[in-house]
Amino acid sequence: MLRNTLKTGIAVAALLAAAPAAFSQELTIGLRAGPDSIDPHWSTLGSQAEALRHIYDTLVDADDTLQLEPGLAVSWEPIDDTTWEFKLREGVPFHDGTPFTAEDVKYSIDRIPDVTGPMSMTLYTKYVESVEVIDDYTVHVHTKGIAPALPNDFTRMFIVPSETGEGTGNEEFNSGDAAIGTGPYKFVSWQPKGDLVLERYEDHWRGESPWERVVRKEIPDDAARVAALRSGQVDLINYVPATDYLSMKNDPEIETFTSDSVYILNVQPSVKDEEPQPIRVNGEEVDGNPLQDLRVRTALDLAINREVLVDVVLEGLGTPANQLMPEGFFGYSDELGAKEYDIERARELLAEAGYPDGFEIDFTCTNNRVPGDAVVCEALAQMWSRLGLTVNAQALNGTVFFPAAANEEYTMAMSAWGTLTGEAAYTYGAMVHSKDPEKGFGNFNRTGYSNPEFDEVFVEGTQTLDAEERRALYEEASVIAMEDRALIPTVILQTVWAAEAETLTFTPRVDQETRAWVIEPTAE
Amino acid sequence: MFGFIISRLLQAIVVVFAMSIIVFVGVYAIGNPIDVMIDPAATAEMRERLIAQYGLDQPLWRQYLSFLANVAQGDLGRSMVYNTSVTGLVFSRLPATLELVLVAIAIATVIGIPAGLYAGYRPKSLGAKAIMALSILGFSVPTFWIGMLLIMAFAVELGWLPSGGRGDLGTFLGMPTSLATANGWSHVIMPALNLSLFKMGLLIRLTRAGMVEAMQTDYVKFARAQGLPDRQIVFRHVLRNISIPVVTVFGLELGSTLAFAVVTESVFNWPGVGKLIIDSILTLDRPVMVTYLILVVILFVIINFTVDIVYARLDPRVRLGGTK
Repeated sequence: MLRNTLKTGIAVAALLAAAPAAFSQELTIGLRAGPDSIDPHWSTLGSQAEALRHIYDTLVDADDTLQLEPGLAVSWEPIDDTTWEFKLREGVPFHDGTPFTAEDVKYSIDRIPDVTGPMSMTLYTKYVESVEVIDDYTVHVHTKGIAPALPNDFTRMFIVPSETGEGTGNEEFNSGDAAIGTGPYKFVSWQPKGDLVLERYEDHWRGESPWERVVRKEIPDDAARVAALRSGQVDLINYVPATDYLSMKNDPEIETFTSDSVYILNVQPSVKDEEPQPIRVNGEEVDGNPLQDLRVRTALDLAINREVLVDVVLEGLGTPANQLMPEGFFGYSDELGAKEYDIERARELLAEAGYPDGFEIDFTCTNNRVPGDAVVCEALAQMWSRLGLTVNAQALNGTVFFPAAANEEYTMAMSAWGTLTGEAAYTYGAMVHSKDPEKGFGNFNRTGYSNPEFDEVFVEGTQTLDAEERRALYEEASVIAMEDRALIPTVILQTVWAAEAETLTFTPRVDQETRAWVIEPTAE
Repeated sequence: MFGFIISRLLQAIVVVFAMSIIVFVGVYAIGNPIDVMIDPAATAEMRERLIAQYGLDQPLWRQYLSFLANVAQGDLGRSMVYNTSVTGLVFSRLPATLELVLVAIAIATVIGIPAGLYAGYRPKSLGAKAIMALSILGFSVPTFWIGMLLIMAFAVELGWLPSGGRGDLGTFLGMPTSLATANGWSHVIMPALNLSLFKMGLLIRLTRAGMVEAMQTDYVKFARAQGLPDRQIVFRHVLRNISIPVVTVFGLELGSTLAFAVVTESVFNWPGVGKLIIDSILTLDRPVMVTYLILVVILFVIINFTVDIVYARLDPRVRLGGTK
């Protein structure tokens, strides 16, 4: 009897003790990567933008599938060929109480060239000629030439108060003195590679976030991040490794959230007159570059069994890719059907091209940039060996891979590319357009691919302000690039979040950002 | 003694110089950090400008000279990733590694040396055999795997200890350290144990080997014949005689643990310098890599120096400077 009373007493006490915890509204997230600085104009790094979005707002925001929506600007439209007008949200206070106005926008954009680092934010202002303040809530951005993608560039353009002051650098931001934004959370503390602690900002224009306090812990090691979730140290983790995904999916105590990412693994065949690493038949170097022959590239494409890549190699964490962007992105062509797998046809094409017995080729990939890059690399090599090729596959650390890829040292390479802005110009301008430093196109075109027809259609798109006309042009460009096998897309990678079951819910984003204010606690 | 210190100091300077050249050339050979860091959509013109801004277009010797010139003014550079001073960055994370390593070394010594003495004193006993078997496990099983087992057992299944991270900080002798709070200890104990296992195994085996050998020497036999109790023989005479190799290994291990505790730091998400250096290597953050590796060289020089002094204290036959 006494014992039972005691037990009840303890239970009640435990409940009382637990009750405030349940309502403390603290959210702890374990993340693979965090920011490099609290200065929002320091770097274009994705994990940086993701973290700082909690403290600062951008003019233009992007929804779950990266299509544009209002942020601090309520509307925007081109008023002539080289001017965009942004109407700003009224009555938005910064964390220190000063009101947000057009001056802050001008200040923030002008500040970038002075403070940005090696991952240079001038990327987002490359079209900006000047910023003109019309009144407190209207800004005109004058552009260098026609710039239809300017609002997309502004999705990572964070606004700081114009009182920030010259010479305010990373030290002042990291200590919190200058970390003042209009975002849904106020900055509390941060250390490089450490925890970012945030506190709810009650006066945010989107309304109050459900969490009073948010701690974003940086846990780069996959196993450590999983252990932190399993031991209850964090409520939610991102980038669940593929090896843990299945066991977590089947675990009733854990809930997983899956989403397509913007990242696609692309095979990049060099089509230069002379391939960088020799291609051999029977040990003899071949004359010319076999990859210049469209039939050879098509054969390589047809020999890829994308279903196997997704279901077996990636354990279900992927989607077959048929072009360089996921469905729904601006410029995605519905005309292109799913890629087919036809090894017989591939062998025929290869024979027609004059290589009935295949050839020996080097194939180089990254092994640590995105989940699954190394395993897909090996699987592709096997698929091509079924075609009759001898493939010397090599998966390298990105630190080694990227500088060599930049020097165009690979005959055939594979790495992941993400269409981070949600529209085609970002990807096509960098990777598919002919290399043309004058125009600023083709910086990541490492294959030597150059098709005047594609260039013409694409460039016309970049000069078209009307959104629908531009979309049609980009879709046409998608078809040209894919029929040419300029690059061979293989799979869209998926990412996984995991949380303790029945504690919280959210809609994952295709850009993989984990935004605390859209995460809802599940009612008890 | 004074001559010894001077010659050691000169040696150290030469070593640090040589090391800085090796590191610089090695880091230079890996590639251009801008190609790793730059945003994929950046234009070629932006890339050129950044390369010039960081002086990466200069020939290697000129980059090295300007690095030396800055070091001479006490400026080791700024991190390309964090844009904060490299020294500040390294020293903000050094305390975490220091406390982890100190606890690990303490565990290894307190358990390892007595266990080794016992195993050498009664080599045929069951206990000795058990200790030796465990010591093999200690240095043959990979650290990260044991670390994950520890996490599975004590953090996930039993829930006694946190799975990672550094705990609350308290102040001890004016230094912020997690060793001053109970919560801090609960965080440090598991990674420290994990880190200590290899060293413990090593110390056990070294101590045992020395012990077995020493117990058969004449001075032990004479001491026994004199009727000295075994306790006194072991602790006063034998321990002192076998401590030279133990101290050598202890010093080297201390250095390498401080510099490269990276596996344990990653598995337990410990915010130490090991993780910092690995991240810097992955992003080719040159100033951090160069500074850190040079600091490690200095650290080893200091430890070796200390070990030599300790030798002389332990064994009067050792003469510093090697002049006689």
